[in-house]
Amino acid sequence: MFGLIARRILWAIPVMFIVASATFLLVRIVPGGPFDEDKSLPPEVLQNIKAKYHLDRPVHEQYFFYMDRLAHGDLGISYKYVHRTVNDILANALPVSIELGFAGLLIAICVGIPLGCLAAVRRATTVDYLCMFLTTAGISVPGFVVGALLIFVFGIWLRILPVALWESPRHVLLPALTLAAGPTAYLARLTRASVLEVMEKDWVRTARSKGLSAQATIIKHVLRNSLMPVVTVLGPLTAILITGSFIVEYMYAIPGMGRFFITAVTNRDYDLIMGTTLVFALLLIIANTLVDLAYTVLDPKVRIEG
Amino acid sequence: MSSSLEQLSIQNPGEPDPNSDLSRDESYANKRRIRRGPVQEAWRRLKSIPTAYVAFWLILFMISMAILSAFGIHLTAYNYDETSLQTIANPSWSHLMGTDELGRDLLTRIIYGSQLSISIGLVTAGIALVVGTIYGAIAGYYGGTLDSILMRGVDIAYSLPDLLVMILVGVLVGHGTIGILFALGLVSWMGTARLVRAQFLQLQHEEFIEAARASGQSTFWIITKHLLPNALGPIIVALTFTVPSAILAESTLSFIGLGLSPPACSWGTLAADGWRALRTHPHLIFFPSLFIFTAVLSFNFLGDGLRDALDPRTRVKSK
Amino acid sequence: MNLGAEPPSIDSVQATDNISFDVIINLMAGLTQYRSDLSCSPCCAESWDIEDSGKRYVFHLRKNIAWSDGKTLTAHDFEFAWKRLLDPKVGAPYAFFLYDIVGAHEYNTGKLKDANQLGIKVLDDYTLEVRLKKPAAYFIYLTAFSPTVPQRKDVVERYGALWTEPEHIVTNGPFLLKDWQHEYKIELVANPNYFEGKPHLDRIKMFMIPEQSTAFALYQNNELDYIDNRSFPTSDVESLKGSSEYRNFPLLRNYCIGFNIEKKPFDNFKVRRAISMAIDRSVFPRILRRNEKPSDSWIPPALAGYKKSSGQGFDPPKAQALLAEAGYPQGKGFPQVTVLFPAREDAKLVMEAIQDELKRNLNIHIELVSQEWKVYRQALLRDPPPMFRDSWGADYPDAETFMNIFMEGNGNNHTRWHSKRYDQIVQAAEAELDGKKRAALYAQADAFLCREETPIVPTFLASQNLLIKPWVTGISCNPLDIQFLKDVSLNSASTQTTTLDFKSSIARLMTHKQLATSSQTLRSVR
Repeated sequence: MFGLIARRILWAIPVMFIVASATFLLVRIVPGGPFDEDKSLPPEVLQNIKAKYHLDRPVHEQYFFYMDRLAHGDLGISYKYVHRTVNDILANALPVSIELGFAGLLIAICVGIPLGCLAAVRRATTVDYLCMFLTTAGISVPGFVVGALLIFVFGIWLRILPVALWESPRHVLLPALTLAAGPTAYLARLTRASVLEVMEKDWVRTARSKGLSAQATIIKHVLRNSLMPVVTVLGPLTAILITGSFIVEYMYAIPGMGRFFITAVTNRDYDLIMGTTLVFALLLIIANTLVDLAYTVLDPKVRIEG
Repeated sequence: MSSSLEQLSIQNPGEPDPNSDLSRDESYANKRRIRRGPVQEAWRRLKSIPTAYVAFWLILFMISMAILSAFGIHLTAYNYDETSLQTIANPSWSHLMGTDELGRDLLTRIIYGSQLSISIGLVTAGIALVVGTIYGAIAGYYGGTLDSILMRGVDIAYSLPDLLVMILVGVLVGHGTIGILFALGLVSWMGTARLVRAQFLQLQHEEFIEAARASGQSTFWIITKHLLPNALGPIIVALTFTVPSAILAESTLSFIGLGLSPPACSWGTLAADGWRALRTHPHLIFFPSLFIFTAVLSFNFLGDGLRDALDPRTRVKSK
Repeated sequence: MNLGAEPPSIDSVQATDNISFDVIINLMAGLTQYRSDLSCSPCCAESWDIEDSGKRYVFHLRKNIAWSDGKTLTAHDFEFAWKRLLDPKVGAPYAFFLYDIVGAHEYNTGKLKDANQLGIKVLDDYTLEVRLKKPAAYFIYLTAFSPTVPQRKDVVERYGALWTEPEHIVTNGPFLLKDWQHEYKIELVANPNYFEGKPHLDRIKMFMIPEQSTAFALYQNNELDYIDNRSFPTSDVESLKGSSEYRNFPLLRNYCIGFNIEKKPFDNFKVRRAISMAIDRSVFPRILRRNEKPSDSWIPPALAGYKKSSGQGFDPPKAQALLAEAGYPQGKGFPQVTVLFPAREDAKLVMEAIQDELKRNLNIHIELVSQEWKVYRQALLRDPPPMFRDSWGADYPDAETFMNIFMEGNGNNHTRWHSKRYDQIVQAAEAELDGKKRAALYAQADAFLCREETPIVPTFLASQNLLIKPWVTGISCNPLDIQFLKDVSLNSASTQTTTLDFKSSIARLMTHKQLATSSQTLRSVR
């Protein structure tokens, strides 16, 4: 187990390096620069700005400059938010997103997995169809529509929850629900499929034929064995949720990190794009390592190297 | 497939078989299937699941709707780009689903939009299935260093900003349907790959796989005949989730200039254009969403049914 | 109120956008300020002299203006801010606003190293002299514009880029910066020592709520007291028009279709003119529904120089005749043309409407291509497509801001069109000090641009839509779209952000009745 963690830390270095290099290249290949604004600037002015950010240098020089800074933990400066460093932006926004993300994740796990089990046990009954219906709605209705409906029902109509903003714990609830809608549906469907798969296995039938009740069988034997796919998607899901969601943060005016994933790209805010990407990559590596560890816990026979 | 299953049950003596009646019944069905051919047999099983059967016809209906519209056959009294002075009219007898900001009939536009949205659903799911499954199968089956390298590749592909990748695809491939399908396929296979790999890692150690290995069956055979069918459930779920997210993501593509050129439309762009009017003119968002919803629901039920029909262990008849 | 987004910078030298200006102009006071009719009135400068036939400005500052840290405002603060704006090392995007000043262009491009040779001189602590290269009648407006507000040398030098953070910033305007939670809200409090007197509002919370329908919901719940275009979806405007809380006024932002006149078939002015004549501009307010004003001239009606006859009217038969003259009778043989527009919802609707008009009236098909904003901007700069959508918002309330775009060498002209005659007319207008004669010259240039040569087809003027709670008074409606908050007041006891108490829930119920939307939406959900 510790060997796995140690090897993953070693792996993380080349992965981060490749992600950084690829993103660096990507942002510079994509057309449009950070200073192509609504009103075009005279070339002289543009030259001054570029010189300020070292963007007038050849690309390879920029690359070495960036990598050198990165090695020292400095993610650079934002071009759009003129006086702010990327480190500063991320330090402010990440905690907010983490808080919201974990709330969403908690809802998704606590609702999704039991719902999936229920649907599997009551297969081909009204409960199952209702669950199928709800989960399908959860994934096929766009996030902004879910958000707008929640705001309307709870914020304006019933007036029991704040419409938006980020002030108190009560403000977390609606955005977390919006955030969780898709993942909950996904987890529920996956759990259902996986539980069904395991339930058809012969040893489960043995257990049931020996007189174990359905509930006891599910909880004791089936769930543990059917969690593999659920845990698998939880890895990237965690990384996605806690680095913030553009739609949710946008809808509820939350000062989190999700909006930077899109706005940094649309602004061609090079260093900020790099910063958000690297943070995401790092979280993804951590989450996926945890997932692989969970595999070995769930099924001791599974062996993972490297 | 059926022959392999018989092999399976022969080579699986360690597994307890509590219900020998049913398994005899199944091998009887398997023998019958040899005579009727696997396609007919799957079809017969599908027909016995009402939800899947209805879903099958719904999908067929939507596909034919898309094909008719692609050949310029009008199912409504309007043209998809025909404007009128009746802007944002609520649903009525002349416009069953109302009209949009330019006075175009929404139903006509939804039918027109099914062309792109249905093909996106099918093609992206196809790409995710083929690429994701092969990639995940290799990683999961061989494990070890190869697995590590392949999975770190997935991590990298996951980490790169989708939006940038898609803008780049737009620049390289250009506009039009091919660019759209390519861009969406490019960012959608990673999830499937990880799922398949996880299933394989677990199944590796089941007795029947080890038995298959011991009996000297080829790797390809083991993967396709033993491992894949057992991993099918989660894969189908992953695929049915790829469909709506791709249909909706396509509207983002038109935002970055890779999507359709107006006045063409798709379900994704219709939903994206309409949702702001949620308070005042809910029909603009309701109907496109309804179609996406129905399509995804059908794919879900059909996927479920297909899994049952293809996977002999699930005994539909015994239900 | 809602800003809509994080202001990229409230350093007046770095800011380029309206959101930043909205904050800066309430924190800082410039030499002059706009009155509600958009004339310039004294602010930090109590008077100024224009000498040397418009080439020398001498500003006399008030002597009683204090910075928020107690020090007195002097002409040096203006000198520092303006020189900083022009300093090539600072890389200020809006440096070119001061290019009319002697030596400014050379200094900003590094050709002139010595800042002392600039035409900006402090005569004494309260007198600032500015010398221009050529007469520029619009120059006075620039002194009311956010990039030219004063800055404190000691503060900027001590804190560097961080000088605009609440704990460091030193201001001289009606409000003080109390708090700034990035990407969330900015809080201003009244400056008790403001030289024109303490403003009425004690506290202003400026939220950055990007999603319009969310901001609108907050307004409905009385959590925002006043909202503008940034804060409600288009479809809501229509149902709000009857409300007593609703205000609307046109903005100085003109939208147009541009042609790349080097590309066929738009190298022929007859084709360009035919297209301009074939677009019925009354369609735009109908589809955009924010009370946009159809416009066929480049100078908006609010500015001197506007003349109704400058534009090209809607005349399909004549348009068809012109198109036939150009060699495309009934649109036959008209080449495949692509039109570029930015991927925005409203732009898409407008372009679809134009596509429809041209198909109906000229029987020509244009291919619409949307691009993400940056890609679109770059395409316009590097290689403009045959036809594209463009827009221009006034930086100051003078026709010059619209007209100089089409003079040779201006980077904002993407049409590749230029004309000696046009340049001469506009130059003559710039140098003319007599208001009437200037207006006539601009009108002449406008007609030449929109009726004769038609490198652009003006389409409509944007408009600002406000919703103001009944207890808020004094919100100024100015077409430059900058919010001056110093004269705003609340006429009841309710505070800016109401808490959940009994009184405000009654107020809420009342607003609910007033808004026609709510009943409709309720129905849709039930």
